[in-house]
Amino acid sequence: MDFINPHVVDLSRFQFAMTALYHFMFVPLTLGLTFLVAAIETVYVITGRRIYRDMAKFWGHLFAINFALGVATGLTMEFEFGTNWSMYSHFFGDMFGTPLAIEGLMAFFMESTFIGLMVFGWDRLSRPAHLAVTFLVAVGSNLSALWILIANAGMNVPTGTHFDPDTMRMQFDSFVELVFSEDAQAKFVHTSVAGYVCAAMLIMGISAFYLLRGRHRELALRSFRIATLFGLVSSVAVITLGDVLGRMDYAKQPTKIAAIEGLWHTSKPPYAPWAAFALPDDAKQENHLEIGVPFVLTPLITHSFDQPVTGMHELEDQAAPRIRSGIIAINALKRYGDSHSSTDLATFRAHEDDMGFGFLAMRHSPNQDTSAITEADLERVVKQTQPDILPNVFATFWAFRIMVALGGFFFIFFAFSTFFSLRNQLESNRWLLRIAVWAIPLPVMATEFGWVTAEAGRQPWTVFDRLPTFLSSSSHTVGYMTFSLIGFILLYSALIIAEFYLMFRYARRGPQDHTSHETPSTDPMLSGLHNAQGGRF
Amino acid sequence: MFAQFPSLLKLAGLGAALVIALLFAVFVGDQGPWYFAWVVGTVMIVLISATGAVLFEAQNNQDHDQNKETQP
Repeated sequence: MDFINPHVVDLSRFQFAMTALYHFMFVPLTLGLTFLVAAIETVYVITGRRIYRDMAKFWGHLFAINFALGVATGLTMEFEFGTNWSMYSHFFGDMFGTPLAIEGLMAFFMESTFIGLMVFGWDRLSRPAHLAVTFLVAVGSNLSALWILIANAGMNVPTGTHFDPDTMRMQFDSFVELVFSEDAQAKFVHTSVAGYVCAAMLIMGISAFYLLRGRHRELALRSFRIATLFGLVSSVAVITLGDVLGRMDYAKQPTKIAAIEGLWHTSKPPYAPWAAFALPDDAKQENHLEIGVPFVLTPLITHSFDQPVTGMHELEDQAAPRIRSGIIAINALKRYGDSHSSTDLATFRAHEDDMGFGFLAMRHSPNQDTSAITEADLERVVKQTQPDILPNVFATFWAFRIMVALGGFFFIFFAFSTFFSLRNQLESNRWLLRIAVWAIPLPVMATEFGWVTAEAGRQPWTVFDRLPTFLSSSSHTVGYMTFSLIGFILLYSALIIAEFYLMFRYARRGPQDHTSHETPSTDPMLSGLHNAQGGRF
Repeated sequence: MFAQFPSLLKLAGLGAALVIALLFAVFVGDQGPWYFAWVVGTVMIVLISATGAVLFEAQNNQDHDQNKETQP
């Protein structure tokens, strides 16, 4: 069997990583902005104050700009599965394609339809009807993310599927198992709520900009108040849900967790230190300049004080029998393809779970053919394949730490912002407003690093434990990949310039003036609330 | 009796919505606890942030009243 050119695999990976990270700049904002706009509009419906309508319209327009770019960049990624990852699509398309199709047909159509009503329906719909439309847009955009994350969870922890040796592809067994898999659930809630944090920070940052410039004060103070509470609760949730996701990965993807923690040797509970800083050396398989915090790793990963966390060296040792078993599986599969003999099928079935490790061993086999491995060669092939089961430790380790550090910063910042906003002391604490402006891109960066942690940590697999990445790409030429990569860079650079231009222009211009709204509420509900409190809060 | 029909219809509709919500909660809470947590959590986040705005208006009204009292 001829291998796909490794440069083509690297270029395909780079192209997909670039387009995915680019697309993911818009997704979290879309997920969060819809619900934040819905929260603002809820206040409008409850209080009847026109300023909240203007706020919902203003932030809704920013959402619409962001949404358009998100759609444009997302579509190309779906095509990439067919053009650049055709082996993967053949192997896993039966399962992967289903949630993607549902995303397009159900969630995306729902979202797009209601966005039209949301943007143009202000004077055509009643207040409650328009609020319902806004909530439907929010639910629709989050359902879009749900189906993508279900598909991604299927790659990370294949669920509700089995390999069919006759078709040479993973066949779909249970839609319910896939949708309700623990990994899909945890991935969705963590990602969605991370989007809430991104949206909260964007609104706080732009509102802070207005307050620093002394413009649109009424809109900015109210927007900041709503966004900071939205962000505070979301940041607590995103940390909690991240812990859930980590616990699940510990059970299902131990190599990812060991790489995240830079853990080369199995930990000794309860003392085992958590590496706050280290420079993991993938080649030498050790850490340099490690600074650890004792007694943290074990409870952090296992939620106990007595369970060890398996290190990467031990995971390599555990992989050796699976590699031997996988080689038997691949050889039996090849023979079954020629003969369709029940004996070969039975042999394959007995070793099927380790098939992916056999694929990994192909790279180190004579002529890349596992059937050519002799008894004398076997241990050499196994030994050379063992390190291949690990992801890039340096990238996974640091992507995770940057994400976690930013997550901690968001919680602290939202807590301070909420405190000063509730005391109406925002404008006297200009340092806080300045931080809010500069912090606008940080949550998006945190989600990008989170994505890198998840996907770099999944390596060397596209379908975990089943299909290696180096066997997944299409058999293009380097020239073709280079040409398409340059095309993507040019197109996406133009799109990002358009996005930033529109967002900056719209945000700098701001909404219409709200000085006319600076009178106190005449709304009966608020007046009643105010009177019931004796005018005091 | 017929005059009350729209109200009864509305009541039946709300009752049906309540039953569906309960069934949804039982099923999703059992099969997908984190999905259920997302639904409940998102509603909570929206309501807490909306409450913050209502509190802002009340504080604003209070300040306005105090300013009026201090004016000659």
